[in-house]
Amino acid sequence: MILDEILIFSGAAFILISAIGVLRFGDPLSRMHATTKASSFGILLIIIGVCLSFDHWLVYVKALLIIVFIYLTAPLAAHAIARSIHPEEGKDQEKEA
Amino acid sequence: MLTDSVSFFIPAAFAFLLLALTLALIHLARSRNINDRIVAMDLISTITMGFIMVYGVLVKRSLYFDVAIVISLIAFIGTVAVSTYLKQRQS
Repeated sequence: MILDEILIFSGAAFILISAIGVLRFGDPLSRMHATTKASSFGILLIIIGVCLSFDHWLVYVKALLIIVFIYLTAPLAAHAIARSIHPEEGKDQEKEA
Repeated sequence: MLTDSVSFFIPAAFAFLLLALTLALIHLARSRNINDRIVAMDLISTITMGFIMVYGVLVKRSLYFDVAIVISLIAFIGTVAVSTYLKQRQS
């Protein structure tokens, strides 16, 4: 199989791009923008490649579990980091809504 | 032979992940702000997850998938705990 190795390779490339973004961007919120989305997508590609390479039903179930968990918790962690950077900003809109 | 049927892509993925880990550690060591350090720590946990999964492909054992699940759980709890502590300290 060549498809799973290509998926793993492109996932590692996305994570490398996210690390370059962390080093190059200027302020903490831009860095968070680089790490949250690009590294989540990279780890998604790596997980799909790994479970295609094993090709076993238990690995597929675990892959689905970990993908759902990562895509549930990555926005929550990003929200917590952003709230720790600017604790007061955006509170008014939340109260109005 | 361990690397029997491994083509070009798996060692290249290892090299990319290792370079990303080096860049994140450089950022972690150089940054003055603690918020930058939380961001770098979050990235390092993701890189470690990817590294362990690619290693599991290399040695052909699906056991390493469970390690990645546990790392993702602990990294989420750690990130939320540290940022909540910082938010409480600032207010």
